[in-house]
Amino acid sequence: MSLAAALEAAIVAWADGGAFADFDGWALRAFTYQFERVPAYRAYCERRGVTPATVVSWTDVPAVPTAAFRHADLCSGTAEAVFRTSGTTGGADARGRHPIAHLSLYRASALAGFRHFVVPDDARLACLFMLPPPARRPDSSLVQMCAWVGETMGTEVEWFVGENGLDLPRLRGRLETFAANGAPVLLAGPTAGFVRLFDDGFACRLGPGSRVMDTGGAKGMSRPLSRLGFLRACWTHLGIAGYFCVNEYGMTELCSQRYESVLADRLAGRSLDARRLVAPPWLRTRVLDPDTLEAVAPGATGLLCHHDLANLGSVSVVLSEDLGHATDGDGIAVEGRVSGAPPRGCGQLLAAIVP
Amino acid sequence: MTATGLSRAIAAAIDARMRLRQRSPAESAAALAAAAARWVVDPDLERGLVESSGLHPSMLREVLPLVAGMLDRDAMLALVEREGTDVGEPAEWTAWVLASNVPALAVPAIALSCLAGSAAVVKSGHCDAVSAAAFQRALAAVDPALAATVVPVAWPHDAALDDVLLDAPLAVLTGHDETVAALAARATGRVLGHGTRYGALLLDTSAPIDYAAAARDIALYEQRGCLSPHACWVVGDAAAVAAGLADALLLLAERLPPAPATVEERAAVRGFLDDAAWAGAGVHAGAWGAVVRESGPHFRPTCGARTIRVLPLRDSAALPDLLPEHTIECLGTNVPPPAGLRARGVARVCPVGRMQQPPLSWPRGQRPALGSLLRQTRAAVMGIER
Repeated sequence: MSLAAALEAAIVAWADGGAFADFDGWALRAFTYQFERVPAYRAYCERRGVTPATVVSWTDVPAVPTAAFRHADLCSGTAEAVFRTSGTTGGADARGRHPIAHLSLYRASALAGFRHFVVPDDARLACLFMLPPPARRPDSSLVQMCAWVGETMGTEVEWFVGENGLDLPRLRGRLETFAANGAPVLLAGPTAGFVRLFDDGFACRLGPGSRVMDTGGAKGMSRPLSRLGFLRACWTHLGIAGYFCVNEYGMTELCSQRYESVLADRLAGRSLDARRLVAPPWLRTRVLDPDTLEAVAPGATGLLCHHDLANLGSVSVVLSEDLGHATDGDGIAVEGRVSGAPPRGCGQLLAAIVP
Repeated sequence: MTATGLSRAIAAAIDARMRLRQRSPAESAAALAAAAARWVVDPDLERGLVESSGLHPSMLREVLPLVAGMLDRDAMLALVEREGTDVGEPAEWTAWVLASNVPALAVPAIALSCLAGSAAVVKSGHCDAVSAAAFQRALAAVDPALAATVVPVAWPHDAALDDVLLDAPLAVLTGHDETVAALAARATGRVLGHGTRYGALLLDTSAPIDYAAAARDIALYEQRGCLSPHACWVVGDAAAVAAGLADALLLLAERLPPAPATVEERAAVRGFLDDAAWAGAGVHAGAWGAVVRESGPHFRPTCGARTIRVLPLRDSAALPDLLPEHTIECLGTNVPPPAGLRARGVARVCPVGRMQQPPLSWPRGQRPALGSLLRQTRAAVMGIER
């Protein structure tokens, strides 16, 4: 069995209730795999004197900055898909490019995380996405992930961003229909899209089990809205309680995502645990000092560096341009994006489309 | 301070200004110059600015005399002669909302208002709580009547106080584009907005290059202001210029140590350098800053903190076409400037080493420094210093 297939099997087994063990072992095998197959990464590591022979722990594996995805080909083989960051300035060169050599591994990882954190009750939901359909944005990793979610967990799927941006009248109509018939709904999209819906004055009470998944934070938002304000608005405008509102943190350069643990915690009887962005066990994040790239003290702010085993087909360790801190052992809190970093992300996806 | 208290202070400043209707510009210029000389040696000023601006004391000792130097008596009189005569009544009072990026922006603001014959209400940014009040104190020591026309204020967030300030017949707003736009939308009178802009260098290796002077242009104010160069176009050997700038910045850092950087600033530098390295640019970097030599000539701002992009240029005449419109405030150069800079929005051209030493007459945003306080101006102005 190939390494990709073995990893996919391990992820699927975790999703079905098994354990995911030996992160270190997987990380070292993945590094060797990428060192051998991704020439640009190999050259980068060799310049630093790092080879599979010198790496003894997952924390020794060299991270590439997201800038690398803007300038280098980081693919371990033939790309089955290519996703691009959604920066809108600086032209095509400013957009990161993540070639995916193992699409089924990406799918398994994305769905396992989503199911664990957003649909831990295995609910079947009508999926309403404030995003363009895959045909319009085939290079968006978020759109692709939502398409997979719709296929596997949805009773039906609708997309509400078209040629003229977010189609609020149609979305309002559909939400009113679902509110009337009581069927549970997953409403997902950029946080900025939700703010537009709230600002439109829309209000309904969606059926029990309905939930929200938002992503992108303040990017592209028409006005500032705190997390608490967002949760309050979800209750006021959609009738969805806070514990059914899950924030997602993802990057085009990663095949795995973090989610707020609130719903998974509630179902596991840990309702009092703090909201935090938690990852599936094959994604770990370190918080690093920007100068030394050493880990900062617990709770201190630094650059978020993600080690995503599901990135097997490119590079697993990605130094993001996001600042944040570790929280409560297994979680992180994102504080914002480095000033001057190219605009990107899900909020930009909406902003690029909404005039 | 309350809104009522602010309104009263403004009314008192207007009354004080009315009492000076017969005051000659020469008298005001003399008082302002004398006040500047007192202000720059005020020990509380440096102490307060070290705390609030985060700049190293050696940096403040370098830049504060440059600010005081803007208030040269003869230069002020020449400015009044050129821009301030036969123009009708000035605004009763002018509200100045100053950005936080560089300290002591209040000094030229107060001077221009005094020369224009307008009371000045000066709201400083959160990184400079001291220089406006210190200048008013210095002015009061030499000319209490003129000092009474100045109201230095500061508050972090107070919509009621902002409303009083933005009700001025003339509001001069500086800051990020978004901030200026948001404040301008609330202003009820005439607005002069100064948003985000950058400096740039043009160096031709066929002429002598003073690298130490260029490094000073880059490093002063820690590259926070609109006069600070972010790009250096080079006609000739760009690699040699990059190395020369790097060496000079390294040397300068010994005399003017960089300000302590926040984690956000350090992360921005990391991102800037990572991007440059993966793009294949030539990188010189250290605790002193960074010089990145790129293969293309197109302008992009850096992350600040003494970082600059060195860009190739085949001929200085090609520069104007490379300037994004209304983005470059100041060009420092070692050769005669090419034609066409004014049309691209450049407001000031000066020799290398003088970028951070603007005269009071600097036509910021291509508006006459004094004349724009007195009347609507339409023609774009560019100052060339030799």
